[in-house]
Amino acid sequence: MAREHLLKVGVSGVRGVIGGFLTPGLGASFAQAFGTYVGKGRVVIGRDTRTSGPMLTHAVNCGLLAAGCEVIDLGVMPTPTIQMYISHVKARGGIALTASHNPPEYNALKLFNREGLFFNQYERSELLDLFHQSQFTQAGNDEIRTVKQDLTTAPALHIDRVLRHVDADRIRRRRFRVALDGVNGAGSEMSVHFLGNVLQTQLEAISVDPTKVFPRIAEPRPDTLTELAALVRRTGADVGFGQDPDGDRLAVCDETGQVLDNDDVLALAVQRALTHTPGDVVVNLTTSSTIDDIAAQHGRKVYRTPVGEANVVEMMQAVKAAIGGEGSSGGIIYPAVHLCRDSYTAMALLLDLMAETGRTVSELVAGLPRYARLSGKVPFEHGRLGTLMQGLEESFPDAQTNRMDGLKLLWEGRWLHVRSSNTEPLLRLAVEARTAEQAQSLFNDAWQRLTS
Amino acid sequence: MNTALRISHVGLRGIVGQGLTATHVMEFAAAFGTFLEPGRPVVLGRDPRLSGNMIREGVVASLLACGHDVIDLGIVSTPVVQHAIQRLDAAGGIAISASHNTIDWNALRFFGPSGIYLNTAESGELLDIYHLHRFRFEEWNKLGKLTVSSDAIDAYLDELARVFDLERLRPLRVVVDCCNGTSALILRRMNDRFGCGFILINERVDGRTVAHTPNTSASIVELQLGPLMQPLQADAGFLFDMDADRVALADEQGRGVSEELVLPMLADHLLPQSEGKLIIANLSSTALLEDVAARHGARVLRVPVGRQAAIDALSTYRPEQIALAGEGTGAVMMPQFRFVYDGIASMLAILTMIRDRGQTVSQILAGYPSHHILKAEVPLTSPNIPALLMELQELFPDGTMDRSDGLRISWPDRWFHVRVSQTEPIIRVIAEQRDSEPRELFETLLDRVRSLN
Repeated sequence: MAREHLLKVGVSGVRGVIGGFLTPGLGASFAQAFGTYVGKGRVVIGRDTRTSGPMLTHAVNCGLLAAGCEVIDLGVMPTPTIQMYISHVKARGGIALTASHNPPEYNALKLFNREGLFFNQYERSELLDLFHQSQFTQAGNDEIRTVKQDLTTAPALHIDRVLRHVDADRIRRRRFRVALDGVNGAGSEMSVHFLGNVLQTQLEAISVDPTKVFPRIAEPRPDTLTELAALVRRTGADVGFGQDPDGDRLAVCDETGQVLDNDDVLALAVQRALTHTPGDVVVNLTTSSTIDDIAAQHGRKVYRTPVGEANVVEMMQAVKAAIGGEGSSGGIIYPAVHLCRDSYTAMALLLDLMAETGRTVSELVAGLPRYARLSGKVPFEHGRLGTLMQGLEESFPDAQTNRMDGLKLLWEGRWLHVRSSNTEPLLRLAVEARTAEQAQSLFNDAWQRLTS
Repeated sequence: MNTALRISHVGLRGIVGQGLTATHVMEFAAAFGTFLEPGRPVVLGRDPRLSGNMIREGVVASLLACGHDVIDLGIVSTPVVQHAIQRLDAAGGIAISASHNTIDWNALRFFGPSGIYLNTAESGELLDIYHLHRFRFEEWNKLGKLTVSSDAIDAYLDELARVFDLERLRPLRVVVDCCNGTSALILRRMNDRFGCGFILINERVDGRTVAHTPNTSASIVELQLGPLMQPLQADAGFLFDMDADRVALADEQGRGVSEELVLPMLADHLLPQSEGKLIIANLSSTALLEDVAARHGARVLRVPVGRQAAIDALSTYRPEQIALAGEGTGAVMMPQFRFVYDGIASMLAILTMIRDRGQTVSQILAGYPSHHILKAEVPLTSPNIPALLMELQELFPDGTMDRSDGLRISWPDRWFHVRVSQTEPIIRVIAEQRDSEPRELFETLLDRVRSLN
C-alpha cells in the first residue's frame, strides 16, 4: 500500500531510482539550475560508488558546463572530503552524486554552497524555484569551460584537517586492531589508507572494493553490520567501524562484537569534543537525552532542530556549536574539522578517546548516561496526519510539546517523537525513557493511539 | 533568432545557448540510445568547438543511461568517427560538429552501423522517438560504460595509407587552410607519420577562435590561399571545414577553384578505375558532371538537394554500381570510404590525380568544357510556391523538367533550378550555361521569382 517515492524533487535536491525516474536529463537540468544559481565559476563534483555514478556525473557536467561553470571532478570521493575541497579551492559550490545510505538503485544530488556547507533553507528554496522556472544561464560557445579532474588533493586535505584535532601519535602508539566495513563505498580506499597507513592501526578490512556493488544494506546500523561484528570477534579487534556509501555516516562496533546504538557513538564524540572544544551542542529532536546529560556535565547547552543534516548544520553555524549530529542516523559533525557529517572525524575522535582514556569501547559506553530507546514505523492514510498528531497530543496533556518537526512530547526522563517520513507515507515513532519498561510502555501506548 | 535551432532528418543543430540547449542534446541523444539496437558500443567524436565539451557530457550521459557502452574518440573529424564505427563494429555513432557553420553553432549528427548516415526512414523513427519523449532508460545495474580511445586518427590514417600511395604524393607542395578545425590534427599526424610535408595555416585548434567562416567556397579559398600559392610555389591548396568532411581547392596560381568542380574532377579521376558507372549528384550541381560522365561511359543520377536524398538514392543501389556521390559544395563520397563525405580522402584523390597526369590543377581544369554558373537568393515571402513554380514551368515548355525538388529545367547547353531552401527562408535561383554566362535566362528567372513571390 505504501506509495514508494521513486523520484523526489524538493528542497533537499533531487533523489530517485535510476531508470525511468532519475533520468540523465533531470540530473542535467537540476545541475544547470544549480550553475545558474551559484554563477559562472568553479563547481566541484564527486560521487559515491553506485553504478549510476558515472552516468550521472556526465549529466551533471553537461548541465554545469551549459551554465558556464568550470567543473572540477573529484571522481569517487566521500561526501565530507568533497565538502572540504570546495572551500579549499574557493569554488562557487559543489555537488555530491550520492544517495547516501539509500539502496543501490537510488541516486541523488547533494548540493553545497561555496563554504562546502549544505544549502540552507533559503538557498534551497531559491534553487528549486529556479529549477521550476527553467530560466537557466545558457552559455555560448566562448563561455563554455571544461571538466578538470583532481583525484588526489582532496583526500590528503581531508586527512590533514582531521589530524589537526586529535593526538595522532598517541593513537599510533597504541597500534589498535581495527575492523572496517567500507560497504565498497566512496571511502573504501581512503579509509584503508587513513586507518592503516596514517594512524598505523592493525587493519582488518572488508568490503573496501569501490568497483563492486554494496554487499549489505547501505545504512550502517546494528542489524546491517553482522559481518563487521563477526570480523571483530574473529580478529579480536579493539573496535569496528561501519561506513555508509558516501562516507559521512559511521556506525561503531565494540570489542565484544556488539554494534553500538548510533546515539551512543554521538555521545562519545560529544564527550571527547566538549573536553577539548568550547561551544554548545546541536542535535535533532530524535537524538537521545544522553546528549543533554553530557552537555550538562560540561555546562554546555543543547539546541534541538528538525531532523535533517542541513537543519543541524544551519543551527550549528548560527550558535557556533562545538559539535553536533543526528543520533539515530549515525554521524557526527565537528566544525573544528568542517561543518559536515564526517565518518573520518568520528573514527579519529573515538580512537583518540580510547588512546587518551585507555578504556575499551564497551567501557566507554558503560560510562554514558543510560536510556532505553525504541522506534517504529506506522503507515498513515493521506489526510489523517493532522488528526493523528492532534489526538496524540491531547491524550498526553501532561507533556511538554514541541511542534518543530512533527510532534515531540517530553516528560522528565522520557520523551516520544512522531514525524512523517519525507520519502514515504509513514510516521516514524521514536521513544526514549530511563528504563526499558518505561520505554516499552510509552511506545505501546503511542502505537495504539496511532494505529487505532 | 528564428534560425537558432533546427531539428530535422539530418539531426539536431543550433546556436549553443541561443537555441540549442543541454536539454535538447540530452533528449536527442536519449532518443538515439533508444533507437539503436542494444549490445554493441556507440562511437562518439567531436570537433574542437568549446561547446563540444558540454554536448559531449550530455551525449555520454544519455547513451550510458540507455545501456550503451560508449567509445569516445575525443576531438576528431566526422569521417574519423564514421571510420571507427565500422572498425569497432559499433551499433552506430554520433559526431558533435556543426561542420561548416560558424563557431557559435553546434550539431549532433547520427550514424548507423558501418558509419553510414541514417536514411530517411531511420531518421524519421529517431525523430518520432525524440518527439514522443519515451526513452528506454535502463536500470541501475544495466548502464553502459565509457571508454576513451586516442588511436582513432591513426587507425583512420592506416586506411588512407592503404588506399593512397602517400609516398608518391610527397614531392607535391601542398598548402592547407585547416580553418582551426580537426583537419589540423589529422594533417599534422600525416606529416609526422608519413613525411607528407603539408604546409598548414589556421592550424591552431582551440575551439574558440576561427580565422574565417569555415565554409568551403571558392571565394574564401581565394582570400585565404590565393596570396600564398605562388610565393610558396605550391602545386595545390586545400581548405577544410571544421570537421573535415568538405574540401575546397586552389590552383597553383592562387585562383579559387569553384566548389562545383571538386566533384567532376574526382569523377574524372575515379571513373576509369571504378566498376560502378553511376554518379549521384543533386539537381543544383554543375552539368560538367554529365560531360565527364559521358567521357567514361557513365551516367549521372540527379536527386533533390540535401544529404538525405543522396543517402536514400545510395541505399537503392548495390555499392559496386556507384562510382561517386556528392554535391557542389566540396562534399564527396567515395565507395572506398563507406560512402561518407570525407574531405581528406577527396584531397588525397585530387593530389593522386595531379601526380597521375603530370598536370597542374589549372591544366586539368582547362581540359573541361567551361560552364558558367550564376546563383542568387531571393527572400521567401509568398506562401504560394507551387503557383510560382507552375508559372515558371509554363514559361519554359521546351526543356526537360524535374519537379522532385522545386523546379529544374534543362536544355542540352544550359539548365536552371529554382527551389526553396530547407534551412533558411529563401528561394535559391541557379542557372548554368556552357561557354558563356546565362545572364538573360538568370535575369528572367529572378524577375519572375521576385514578382510572383
